Amino acid sequence: MILFVAAIAAGIGLGLFYGWVISPVELIDTAPNTLRMDYRADYVLMVAEAYQVDNDPELAVRRLALLGDQHPVDTITEAGIFAAEIGYTFEDLQVMRDLADALRSWNPNLPPTSTSPPVTPTLASEATGETP
Amino acid sequence: VNDERRPYWFVLTGVVIGIVLGLLYAWVWVPVEHIDTHPVTLRDDFKDTYRALIALGYTANGDEGRARARLALLGDPDPARTLAIQAQQTLADGGSADAARALGILAAALEGQLASSEAVEVVVVSATHELDATLNASPTAEDGTPQSEATDTPQATASATPPPTPRPSQTATPTQGAPFTLRDFTLICNPNLSAPLIQVYVYGSGNVPAAGVKAIVSWDGGQDSFFTGLKPEIGFEYGDFEMTPGVSYSVRLVTGGEPITGLTPTECTDGSPPYWGSWRLNFTQP
Repeated sequence: MILFVAAIAAGIGLGLFYGWVISPVELIDTAPNTLRMDYRADYVLMVAEAYQVDNDPELAVRRLALLGDQHPVDTITEAGIFAAEIGYTFEDLQVMRDLADALRSWNPNLPPTSTSPPVTPTLASEATGETP
Repeated sequence: VNDERRPYWFVLTGVVIGIVLGLLYAWVWVPVEHIDTHPVTLRDDFKDTYRALIALGYTANGDEGRARARLALLGDPDPARTLAIQAQQTLADGGSADAARALGILAAALEGQLASSEAVEVVVVSATHELDATLNASPTAEDGTPQSEATDTPQATASATPPPTPRPSQTATPTQGAPFTLRDFTLICNPNLSAPLIQVYVYGSGNVPAAGVKAIVSWDGGQDSFFTGLKPEIGFEYGDFEMTPGVSYSVRLVTGGEPITGLTPTECTDGSPPYWGSWRLNFTQP
């Protein structure tokens, strides 16, 4: 019986050795919500910078949703706090703050306001007729 | 004999059970949690999103060093080429024109092919070109000789529009350069081209290739657009559009510019049988 238990223990050891050393899990095909905090903060900053270009809050929310189920403003706040701790510049923090402010006042059920710049049409919407 | 072998079977059974338990523990009961990962491990579609954000960020702040550092995180062997391919793919899939343009601009910047900060801005062509008469005449050039410079009569009437999006406060607004004007146009007779094309080449001041310039093509009942810089294998100043025989097209750079009209596929007769030529339009920034 002792020998049997010892064999099981040895087998467990072999299984763990195989699973963790010989054939360890490879980190591929991960999602943005698994990124390390400093990369998350930079991701949020990129979303905020992109918002300056496209001025599309819905798109910004979709991009931030890749970081998790949190409310997008909370995601920005969390990233902003971390960014401030590790020394992001005031300008970068302001860009993130601007996006947070925009999302606080954004209502997805309302149409875009007239102050928003027109969205650049896509190829599909630009083609008003059949392709020659 | 059987009694002597029994302990070894116990051992073997125990080891197998142990291995199964060990693997269950490592892979099922306490699986590895993916936390604190690096951008290089992102799935390909998330990398595309990441890349587009990097490019849009570059468009917003013009910080090439930052864009390079971010791209390095993705581990692309040739970031500029990857960006250019993604830009083309984005357009082909009907994706965001803003993102495609940003990707093209960043690709050009990485290659040192961006004409100037003006290329990032929206620039309105200020020249009016009415070339119908010349373009509709039977072309004689077959090797790229400019045909109609005498008919080029640019009229500096339109003004540049302001940037389409607000700039970050820390980034100086680039100085608006002179608008692009049509320098010349040529019928290109190249039997290797399978279809008649409108080929646009845009050069900034100092004859530097200008990527990310949007050209709009219109025809009776339709409109489309393309950007320079999305085919880096030809040149970051280059963009093209495939014509259909029998259709007359007009081309202008960026919304608001006056169109160059009367571009129709024209046959080249230097070979047998005749084949379609392509129109090459060279734009420059004085």
